[in-house]
Amino acid sequence: MKIKYIFLLFALVWISSCDLNEKPYGFYSDENFFNTPEEAESALLYAYNAYTLIEYTRGILYIGELPTESCNVKPDEGMGTNDLDEWVISSGNLTLQYFFKNSYIAINRANSVIDNVTESNINAAAKEEVLGEAYFLRAFSYFGLMRVFGLVPVQLHAVKNRAQTMPYLAKNMNELYELMTADLQKAETYLKVKRRVGRADRVAAQALMAKVNLHVASSKESNVQYYVDMPEAVNYYYDLAKEYAGRVVNQQSEYGHDPDLMRIYNVDAPTGKEHIFLLSMDKSGTNEGNFSKLGQMFLTGQASAYYIARPDGSYVYTRGGFGVFQTTSSFYDSYHNDDKRKTWLYGGGSGTEANLYSTPGGGAINISYKFSLKYVDFNPDGVKESSKPFLLRYSDIALVYAEAAGPTTEAYSLVNQIRARAGLADLTPGLTLAAFRDAVIQERAWELAFEGNRLYDLRRKARVVITDAKAQAAGVSEAQAAFYPIPQLEQDLNPNI
Amino acid sequence: MRTQIHFKRLIRMLPMLVFCLLSQQLMAQTTVSGTVKTVGGDPLAGVMVVNPNNKKSYTLSDANGAFTIADIPSNGLLEFSMMGYRQITVQVNNQTSLSVVMEEDNTLLEEVVVIGYGRVKKSDLTGSVSSIKTDKINDSPANSIEGLLQGRAAGLQVINSSQDPGAGSTVRIRGSSSLRGSNAPLLVVDGFPVGEAGDLKQVNPNDIASIEVLKDASASAIYGSRGANGVIMITTNKAKEGITRVNVKHQTTASQFTKDLIRWRDPVEMATLANESRTNAGQPPLYNGAINAAGVYYPTVNEIASGAWPYFTRWDKVVLRDLPMLNNTSVSINSATDRTSFILSGNFYNDLGVYKADDYTKGLVRLNVDHKVWDNFTIRTSNTISKNERNYNNGRSYSRNPIWPIYNEDGSYFLTSINDQSHPVALREHSTNVTGGKDYLGSLIADIQLASFLNLKSQVNYKYGNTIRDRYNPKIYSADGTNNNGAAYIDNWEGENLTVETYATFDKIFAEKHNVNFMLGHSYGFGKSRFSNLAAYDFVNETLGNQNLYAGVKQETYNGYSEEKLLSFLGRANYSFDNKYLFTATMRADGSSKFGANNKWGYFPSVAGSWKAHEEEFIKSFDIFNEMKLRVSWGKSGNQGISPYQTLSRYGTEKYFYNGTWQTAIGPGYEVGREGDSDRFIIWGGIPNEDLKWETTAQTNIGLDMGFFDNRLRVTLDLYYKKTTDLLRESFLSLSSGYNKIWINDGEVENRGIEISIDGNVISRKDFKLSANFIFSLNRNKVVSLGDAVSAGLQIDYITGMKYEYWGTYFEQWRGTPNILAVGQPAYVFYGYKTDGMIQTTQDAWEQGLTGDLAKLGEFKYLDISGDGYFDDRDRTIIGDPNPDFTASLSLNGSYKNFDFEVFLNGVFGNDVIQQNKYGQSNTMSSRWTLDNPTNAYPSLRENRQFFFSDWYITDGSFLRIQNVSIGYNFQLKNVTWIKNLRISANIANLYTFTKFKGYDPEVGTDGIYWGGYPRFRKWTLGVDITF
Repeated sequence: MKIKYIFLLFALVWISSCDLNEKPYGFYSDENFFNTPEEAESALLYAYNAYTLIEYTRGILYIGELPTESCNVKPDEGMGTNDLDEWVISSGNLTLQYFFKNSYIAINRANSVIDNVTESNINAAAKEEVLGEAYFLRAFSYFGLMRVFGLVPVQLHAVKNRAQTMPYLAKNMNELYELMTADLQKAETYLKVKRRVGRADRVAAQALMAKVNLHVASSKESNVQYYVDMPEAVNYYYDLAKEYAGRVVNQQSEYGHDPDLMRIYNVDAPTGKEHIFLLSMDKSGTNEGNFSKLGQMFLTGQASAYYIARPDGSYVYTRGGFGVFQTTSSFYDSYHNDDKRKTWLYGGGSGTEANLYSTPGGGAINISYKFSLKYVDFNPDGVKESSKPFLLRYSDIALVYAEAAGPTTEAYSLVNQIRARAGLADLTPGLTLAAFRDAVIQERAWELAFEGNRLYDLRRKARVVITDAKAQAAGVSEAQAAFYPIPQLEQDLNPNI
Repeated sequence: MRTQIHFKRLIRMLPMLVFCLLSQQLMAQTTVSGTVKTVGGDPLAGVMVVNPNNKKSYTLSDANGAFTIADIPSNGLLEFSMMGYRQITVQVNNQTSLSVVMEEDNTLLEEVVVIGYGRVKKSDLTGSVSSIKTDKINDSPANSIEGLLQGRAAGLQVINSSQDPGAGSTVRIRGSSSLRGSNAPLLVVDGFPVGEAGDLKQVNPNDIASIEVLKDASASAIYGSRGANGVIMITTNKAKEGITRVNVKHQTTASQFTKDLIRWRDPVEMATLANESRTNAGQPPLYNGAINAAGVYYPTVNEIASGAWPYFTRWDKVVLRDLPMLNNTSVSINSATDRTSFILSGNFYNDLGVYKADDYTKGLVRLNVDHKVWDNFTIRTSNTISKNERNYNNGRSYSRNPIWPIYNEDGSYFLTSINDQSHPVALREHSTNVTGGKDYLGSLIADIQLASFLNLKSQVNYKYGNTIRDRYNPKIYSADGTNNNGAAYIDNWEGENLTVETYATFDKIFAEKHNVNFMLGHSYGFGKSRFSNLAAYDFVNETLGNQNLYAGVKQETYNGYSEEKLLSFLGRANYSFDNKYLFTATMRADGSSKFGANNKWGYFPSVAGSWKAHEEEFIKSFDIFNEMKLRVSWGKSGNQGISPYQTLSRYGTEKYFYNGTWQTAIGPGYEVGREGDSDRFIIWGGIPNEDLKWETTAQTNIGLDMGFFDNRLRVTLDLYYKKTTDLLRESFLSLSSGYNKIWINDGEVENRGIEISIDGNVISRKDFKLSANFIFSLNRNKVVSLGDAVSAGLQIDYITGMKYEYWGTYFEQWRGTPNILAVGQPAYVFYGYKTDGMIQTTQDAWEQGLTGDLAKLGEFKYLDISGDGYFDDRDRTIIGDPNPDFTASLSLNGSYKNFDFEVFLNGVFGNDVIQQNKYGQSNTMSSRWTLDNPTNAYPSLRENRQFFFSDWYITDGSFLRIQNVSIGYNFQLKNVTWIKNLRISANIANLYTFTKFKGYDPEVGTDGIYWGGYPRFRKWTLGVDITF
């Protein structure tokens, strides 16, 4: 009888001893995902979402604008932004480090979509749609890295274990170029013209292809390191840039020139003609990244709320911000006085320049600098804004076309269309190729100010140091200014570079 | 007459006579009376006198030691027993008057101590185990036992840094051996491993009979992968055989501050100094009679001084209670027969903390039943149900500016601006923050004695806990409420734990000299926890608070679940030869679901030997030692430290806004932490490490137990060396991997130390007894390795090349983290700048390479210790150590006649404390540096100064506390027989603290950071303890 009890006890023990393997609960993992088109699309959105992270949305502006003549940075902004502004080049710069890291997070997420969707049983049409965007995103991330750092590590597959975390550095610029153009060609083939705010379509792929080629062409032309070794002649890349920009300009009607300057910067009008690829953020989000604070990065914080006087005599109310990007007076003054991009798109200043008031028509608030209003959400939800970074804009691509094509009639007309919108006269006709291209670069500086392009325009023309007084003061050479060093942490942690 | 009476008596005894005749036994019954005395001739009260053959017949001796017991067989036996005395049995032998002498039981060596999966005679211990008696420490009420264990065992460190109602404690045994995992010891209650020590609120401290602290590997390795931090074994009390006892115990505590509150007493001085601080920074004064940028009106100093600004609010009176009170009542009933015994006990605990509307309440009921089914088969069950509620008051800021009134003239709250989110009364009255918990702790044990030498025990344990937290943050008065237009939350959590353990014990003596004891067992544990957090925002009407989340415009939900399994096999072998040489070996194999696929099973062995030298003739011949025992042990134990699912690939879930709606985005990589200013950057994890495993601690212990003077002086000495390897750490991954961190096993920490415990039975007279217990513990901690410097992301000290990493809390005021883990240094040392007073001359600044604002007169004179001519972050070095040099405690216990008393001193010596709020305190601000007062103690006041973490903030945190003084009186109630015992007691906790520390109190957490808060309580407790 007692023996029975003992057996009973042991039986109880034996039943309880099941296996020790864990099954994931409440989270998705490699084992239970990528089975349906919806899942693939969800993973694709996760890749897009990487760009909404603060290290990217702020990074594109910090890196694209601070090292140029266009602005100064708020003195205690931190994260190495002062060093960027003053051209203290350091591999330990945190803004660069986070931008680098974030780009690879986006790449890994895109790679995961590419790897898994390619192998999945999803039907071919749905596959192509998702894959096209994933290839676009991968190219987009590499293009960002290439412009900032030059040769970077190449990661073509999703990282699944520790052994795969140490990718090799690209052998040369052509390796990155081939990677991007191959991805973009696939994207162009797989995708249709289909506008969805916050997502890329065929036009975005063509636009990016044009930008990549123009960047390579002009960099090689300017004898920038690594680009000089590109295998083809300069005009080969110019022609490709012209070809793809031409497809954007001429072969579709979804996107195009928006004659209303202010509609471009209306955060609530993301479906405007200009917006080929916007990063989608909305004030209804919960976390920063879901919503944006970019407007506050520009708005001065010297008063907590104020009215901005518009040239038409109206006033617009806004809360104060952080005042991070402070336009230099030389850049502000470089605009023609009638340029609407000057009169409508800047706030601040002092004396006769001041257009900030504590009440409509009340006492002026004097701010020592001007700040861009391109990102300001005038109807925010507390600190949450719907401002969306401009990743690919039609005017950018029109100017890419003009620069690649040279002083053709079509190129002139594209530039003049933009100048007309700003209230300016036509560009001087009959410019030489070089003078025309310089004029386009200058037009880009005004038109695309604070949209994260300026540094790369200067770099590909090897004109960083000539243009930016602070780069001269820091004593850097054009060659040093051409690329930032790979972040120290990457150099330390990745033995393969 | 006489005959008649005899006759009546005879008739009355007739049934008994008939019974006697029927049983054919003629047995004379007699009444026995007598006295019980000690060897010294003192009468002994409360001795249980019982007929061993009929336990219904019993009595207790009175205050004079006298007893009378009727109906005892004249040739029978009487058994005399009392705690602390040897039980004796006396032959009645027709005597009617007995004089009994009871010997005191000094042989503490015969004490039995509880160890993992068994018990052992204290004299037969081969490992290092400390026992704690709970009778005196319970004079001070507590929500959980841990807080009371401070200073009570060598090698046991208990820190009570929070005095909030219901707050737990930090418990360490022999230092910290894990950097990222837990350092809390395992708690085992009556054989049930319930979890980590710190807050055992499920057990009423009054129900605890004894506590054993398992310190070395021989004792703790039997708990395998959970034993590395040591084990605390808790044994609850058992019913005493014989009579039904009802015990009622009540304690009331009133608390007062041991120091004055630091607050502004003179608003003119406050405003003047604030203005000075602004002026020194080149800013307009704060108190200038204007509305500032934040929309707050600050009156001028003159307005305050002249009384034109009439308000002066004593926020401490508004926010704090006059008298924080605590009430603790326990009732228990216990009874036992030879087959069944039970204890039913209840506890009600109510702690009204220092803040108004801030309290903790707990009710607890426990039922223990033991039943002998057959002579060799016993079942036991223990069940505790408890319920607690913590009311947290969000309005705690007693340091609010005293010039703000509480209310406007119309009775509404006075808010400084629309963004005033710290009005304590508004928050107290309009926000909700209540956490309610329910706990169940139960076990069922079957105990089978298969043979005289073979026992089988099977135990099923179950623990359940649940908490529901209700919160509401109002629209106007709180930041969260303002941002969300009212924010309501319900957070649910529940966890459960099942353990099934079975073990067989074989115990036999062969050939009189060979004592062999084996234990073999098996254990299976399953734990799971889940939570759901519900949130709703944007309320039209606030009256419901969080009662109806659906009334909010927007709802959010989060939930999670995790489970873990632990499968174990364990065994122990004891062998002793001739009661002189003892050997123990233990082994445990643990398989855990949390470990990586390549390391599912861990093995934890230990061996120990002990030599009872006092049993040797040559030692006996010295005639000095009553006991002289040497113990040596070595073994390995583990620390699980990782959360479930760390070894799996893991996706994250996010939202992406496109085409006008939020879409769910899912993909590889998830948030494992945050970093940077305001935690703005996500740290990404999610790649599996299939090699991940436990941390291993190997420990060597050498101990010596000595007893002198008839064991009246006992000394226990232990030396230990612990080395912990395979530390769980997060390793950085290359940035190009798309991830940040992965958990790995890397790094080493060691702890070594000395523990001395001296017990002296100083005076043992009839009316006066005094014993003393001195405990000394010394631990030296050292971080030996933090793994590969690069992948661990280690920093390098410029001057010495020392590798380190930041650990713990980031401080915005310093833009840095003061604690580091540094190779070759104790854990958590402080890393910062050195100062030498303040800058008094421009020469001072120039010499140290200070420039700009840092070079102004009256600034900190930071030292350029790197000597490179610049003051920068290369000038940092180790500037303090929060680990104490040693801790010591002394308890004096005694009794005089019916009084008993205890004085308990506890001290911590040689540790440093960071007084992080040292600058700008109202009581020291006027001592600032000025041109007229070129002090070196405080810098000038300057509003926008960038502070750096320096030795200026560090003070010696040594203290010696008169931690406990208690006096009890035991009433001798001769005439009230229904009261068996009545004791009243008075207790003062934290009577006085000797320290150089200038803040409220130097008892801070293991990181050495002093947070301020409020002063330590001196707690006055009155207690009454009645047994019926």
